[in-house]
Amino acid sequence: MQFAGYDPANYPLNQNEWSFPVTEVFHIAGFALLIGTIFMVDLRLMGLGMKRQSAAEVLKGTAPWTLLGLAVVLISGPLIFLSDPVLYLNNASFRFKITMLLIAILYNWTLHRSVANKSNPGTLGVLVGGVSACMWVSVIFAGIFIAFV
Amino acid sequence: MQSFMEMLQSIGWAQALRESALMYPIIMSLHLTGMGLFGGMIAMTDLRILGLAFTKQPVADVHNQLRPFKHLGLTLVVTCGLLLGISKAAIYWPNPFFKLKLSLLLVVAIHALIFRGSVYSHLEEYDRTGVIPGNAKLAAALSLLLWISLVAAGRWIGYWEPAEAA
Repeated sequence: MQFAGYDPANYPLNQNEWSFPVTEVFHIAGFALLIGTIFMVDLRLMGLGMKRQSAAEVLKGTAPWTLLGLAVVLISGPLIFLSDPVLYLNNASFRFKITMLLIAILYNWTLHRSVANKSNPGTLGVLVGGVSACMWVSVIFAGIFIAFV
Repeated sequence: MQSFMEMLQSIGWAQALRESALMYPIIMSLHLTGMGLFGGMIAMTDLRILGLAFTKQPVADVHNQLRPFKHLGLTLVVTCGLLLGISKAAIYWPNPFFKLKLSLLLVVAIHALIFRGSVYSHLEEYDRTGVIPGNAKLAAALSLLLWISLVAAGRWIGYWEPAEAA
C-alpha cells in the first residue's frame, strides 16, 4: 500500500529525535487516564470497588477525565501513525487495535454509560463492566504487539 | 557493576524471556496494563486532592477505595518491569535514561515517606473541615509530575543508543 504525494521523510515528527518520544509519552499518559478511569467504573459495576459510591456517581466523577484521556490519545495516536502510515496499515496488530478501539469507544459511550446510570445495574452491570475491562486491555495488548509482529 | 548485569541477564529465564517472541511483548503489555490501572487511579486521587475531580465525593472515600487497585496496578507494573529490566540488564545498565528511571523511583519512595504521615493519613480530617491544606496539594502535584517523568524516562530508554565503539 502506498500514498501518492505523502513522504514520511518530510513529516515534522521524523525531523528530530525528541518529538516522536514526546508524542508517545502523551499517548501513554492519555491512555492511562482514559483506561484507568474506565476501570474505576468497571470495578464499581462488577461490585469490586468504589462501593461507597453508586456506579452513576463514579461515572459522573470520572467522565470529564475519561474524555480528556480520549482526546489526548486521539490526537497523539494519529500523529504517531503519520510517521509511517504504510508500516502501520500493513500491520495486523495495528488493524486489530483500531477495530477494538472503535468498538470500545462506541461501547463505552452507549451501553456502558447507560448501564452505569441505572439505579441498580446488578448482574447486567457485572457483565457490562467485565466486557469493558477486557476490551480495553485488548487495545493495550494490540498496541504493544504492533512492534513485535 | 556491568559484569554483574551481564551475569544477571544470562540467568536461564532472563535469557529465555529476552529471546522469546511471545513472552517479551506479553510481559510488556501487562506492564502497560498495570500502568493504566495504577496511573489512571493515582491521577484521579491526586486530582481529587487538588480539587479538580470528584469534588462531590469525600477525599478519603476516593483515596481509600482506590488504594487496593492502585497497589494491584503498582505490583503489576513493578513485577513486569523487573522481569523486563533483568532480562536486558546489561543492555540497559549503560543507558542514562534507565538510571534516571531508577533514580525517579527512589524519589517516589522518598515522596511516600515524607507525605504518608503528613498528608495521606489526614484525609478524613480534610473532609471534616472542608479544607485541603497547601502541603496536601503540593504532595498531589508532585506525585502527578513524578509519574509523568517516570513514563518519559521509560520511553526514552528505547531511544538512547550507545556511542559507537572506536
